Amino acid sequence: MVRAGVVGTQLPTSGLDIFGDLRKMNKRQLYYQVLNFAMIVSSALMIWKGLIVLTGSESPIVVVLSGSMEPAFHRGDLLFLTNFREDPIRAGEIVVFKVEGRDIPIVHRVIKVHEKDNGDIKFLTKGDNNEVDDRGLYKEGQNWLEKKDVVGRARGFLPYVGMVTIIMNDYPKFKYALLAVMGAYVLLKRES
Amino acid sequence: MAAAGQGGRSGGGGGGSGAGGGYSSGTGSGRSGLLDKWKIDDKPVKIDKWDGSAVKNSLDDSAKKVLLEKYKYVENFGLIDGRLTICTISCFFAIVALIWDYMHPFPESKPVLALCVISYFVMMGILTIYTSYKEKSIFLVAHRKDPTGMDPDDIWQLSSSLKRFDDQYTLKLTFISGRTKQQREAEFTRSIAKFFDHSGTLVMDAYEPEISRLHDSLATERKIK
Repeated sequence: MVRAGVVGTQLPTSGLDIFGDLRKMNKRQLYYQVLNFAMIVSSALMIWKGLIVLTGSESPIVVVLSGSMEPAFHRGDLLFLTNFREDPIRAGEIVVFKVEGRDIPIVHRVIKVHEKDNGDIKFLTKGDNNEVDDRGLYKEGQNWLEKKDVVGRARGFLPYVGMVTIIMNDYPKFKYALLAVMGAYVLLKRES
Repeated sequence: MAAAGQGGRSGGGGGGSGAGGGYSSGTGSGRSGLLDKWKIDDKPVKIDKWDGSAVKNSLDDSAKKVLLEKYKYVENFGLIDGRLTICTISCFFAIVALIWDYMHPFPESKPVLALCVISYFVMMGILTIYTSYKEKSIFLVAHRKDPTGMDPDDIWQLSSSLKRFDDQYTLKLTFISGRTKQQREAEFTRSIAKFFDHSGTLVMDAYEPEISRLHDSLATERKIK
């Protein structure tokens, strides 16, 4: 008697069959699984772009990374920004700015402002918790910041929530693993 | 010859062989032929009985199989294609926004971004309306081609519901006559425990008769009229 063994096509019944749902699907259902994943990504993207358009800021939500603004803001706080052109920048206000050539935004307070009649301004910033002003952080030879360096003005904040972002940036492998697991879950599980 | 053939089939039936061996010897040959077809084409459906959505999906799929294989209806993908199109268009807007913003960094891309974002959320709204009112919980639209080729097709629709953490599964079959455009429907509500055994295998012998009964109740009315 000849026995034909079928090797490799059946996972052990006690094991985890993560492709089980996918194997029972036809073309349209498989396409819908991919679409589902794409729609989740698109929704997140559209909400982010929508916030960018609404607030006028290129980065409407930022995380405070250092303790240079204590006791107002602590490391790990989430800030909501707006960047409307009509808002004047006055001494004493908290702005988020980017130094030319660096891509990490800095959250500090404006301490000096020079304003021309046509609305052009030059301003100087300093962190509340720092000893000196930010001239050491600016570009070589730059002593003042201008409107174009501003990412936005802080309008609201959430304490501690930004710690998740800090952890994910410090341990990128954790971030990728988390995203991979979430992506796999959406792609492989059939929704009802 | 027949006995040896049946023995071979029930031996090779794998997980469902318990149910097959018990019934196929007792029922007529036509009935066991259908059961064998299900077993050979697909393995008997085995799912986690505590996972509500897997239960509903397997019941829906099996009901679909009964209508398409036993009664030889042709599936119509119009409803599903509509949903896929809406989703694809939404993703298209998202991709356009992404690429445009990458090519023309923020302040210049503002009008295009605004347009894409608004369009995306409008499409989401359309999708929600479509799935709630047009698709409802219908998972199968099947046509019965008129054998004489003269009248428009009769349409059969299947929809179902299974509430979260509940065991009552409701299956509704709707018949829309091609000729008279009249609509008739029939449904049943049963506990899912009636169709699944303790290991989570769907027992077609218990499920298929319910579907057939539902179908025949709507089909026979037509013959009387």
